[in-house]
Amino acid sequence: MALFETRGLTKRFLGVTAVDAVDLTVEAGELVSLIGPNGSGKTTLFNCVTGYLAPDEGRVTFQGRDVTGVAAHRIARLGIGRTFQLVSVFPRLSALENLLTFLQQHQEESLVGRLVRAPRVRRLEAAAVERARSLLDSVGLGGRTEAPAGTLSYGQRKLLAFAAALMPDPDLLLLDEPAAAVNPTMIEQMKAQIRTLHRQGKTVLLVEHNMDVVMDISQRVIVLDHGQKIAEGAPEVVRRDPKVVEAYFGR
Amino acid sequence: MRATRWVLGSAALVAVPWIAAAVVPGQQRYVLHVLIFTALYGALALSYDLVVGHVGSLSLAHPAFFGLGAYTLALLATEARWPFALALPAGIALAAVVALAVGVPMFRLTEHSFAMGTLGFAIVTQVVATNWVDFTHGPLCVTGIPKPQVGALRIATLPAFYWMGLGALALVALLYRGLTTFRLGRAFHAVRDNETLAAAASIDPLRYRMLAFVIGGGVAGGIGALYVSYVGVLCPGELTVSLSVNLLVMVFLGGVGSLRGVLVGAAAFTALPEILRMAPTWRMVIYGLLLLVIVIRAPDGLEGLMRRASSRRRRPASSGA
Repeated sequence: MALFETRGLTKRFLGVTAVDAVDLTVEAGELVSLIGPNGSGKTTLFNCVTGYLAPDEGRVTFQGRDVTGVAAHRIARLGIGRTFQLVSVFPRLSALENLLTFLQQHQEESLVGRLVRAPRVRRLEAAAVERARSLLDSVGLGGRTEAPAGTLSYGQRKLLAFAAALMPDPDLLLLDEPAAAVNPTMIEQMKAQIRTLHRQGKTVLLVEHNMDVVMDISQRVIVLDHGQKIAEGAPEVVRRDPKVVEAYFGR
Repeated sequence: MRATRWVLGSAALVAVPWIAAAVVPGQQRYVLHVLIFTALYGALALSYDLVVGHVGSLSLAHPAFFGLGAYTLALLATEARWPFALALPAGIALAAVVALAVGVPMFRLTEHSFAMGTLGFAIVTQVVATNWVDFTHGPLCVTGIPKPQVGALRIATLPAFYWMGLGALALVALLYRGLTTFRLGRAFHAVRDNETLAAAASIDPLRYRMLAFVIGGGVAGGIGALYVSYVGVLCPGELTVSLSVNLLVMVFLGGVGSLRGVLVGAAAFTALPEILRMAPTWRMVIYGLLLLVIVIRAPDGLEGLMRRASSRRRRPASSGA
């Protein structure tokens, strides 16, 4: 059984079919990329499977469970983490607090327990802080833990959003253009991060424009054009597919 | 060191009635009266800041919840002869239940329309209180509200009311701190700062907005009940929009989202109009001008001023060492 699957997923906006009957399968431990020209429906598909948009038709299953139309916060709780194309952090919270915010379900505490600062609460908090610090270290933000996220550079915020998505240890990670609008050094760093995740056995589905990144790290590539899946396969095969070439460069 | 200061500070607050009697013997009653209002306003402003400051929903419904608690206690204590120990929780519960019922449709609105919707609710509540004369006595007011009595303990003197207000404020401050730190506090702030991202962090925005709104409403109801049992009279004029304005001034000019800021704001803006009584003609003009000066000099409130002052004090000390 596949970890994550869509069947006939369709989303229409005022007559425009943004996602058109897409079948997509991701097996546990895979690193899959979703590519396609601008406006081909990649981000809409992401939003449909993470509860931000309700699909008009089709099914989304995760770990054998139908999650079609489930609210975004429930999807996240089930173990699907995601990042956003336009960098998204809590600007007034520190880098550390940004990560801690993502550890909701791991810190079930009672109100009374918190009011008296029960030892268990302190212990959970200490463990969460330790995990957050080590994640920030691993993305190279170890020196900026107390900085308000709004004061970080664009690239740093992107890394912060990435680290935050990892905080609850999701079973499936959806990354929306992690390499967009960051400098080449940062792209290399991002690639290394994603590779490390993959080696650790994480399942990653990536939306990405940067072909170098896609071809370099993905095991499998799925190509969307006008909302439809037009190709799927190993990076080098997809790259030579005439349909893909046509979608990107025109006839 | 910090603990010692805390104990001394609390002891001083508890001893205020005796201190006032010693320092300003002729004015003890007046000073205590202002301090009781300050404590109740402080608690009310904290409950308001839970909604406005921590989940960032600009609600203008707070006078309605305050009024619901106040009317519940006033009517139960006078018409039904309920004891204080039952009428107070009833006031809190009714305000919280109404907040829940009102919150469901209101939170379908966002930002400005939420503010307008809650303002509408507050106005409707006040109109009902004014015009449903058979039930609320309307402009004739509910009078003769008995002093609180719990068992053998009777709260009737000014010092007793002062300690009641102080106790209520301490409880609300403790609740406020518990709600706005750690996991719950982070969830509130996440919802306030970026609702979309909050959902990706498995935080249900509606649930946390509701939680703050219902707890804030319930606390406001409780403070309303304490307020009328102190004042002894309840008129519909207590529920007007001007209460929202006062609360907004205390929270935003004190320090939105900060326990210390809101308390300082409540103290400053309760005491200030009283101090200005020395110049009766120009009182409200001076008050208005002072508000303007604060808005211009400290747009982030008195809390921002205090924070800047303490960091200035710390800097020369560290450079000297």
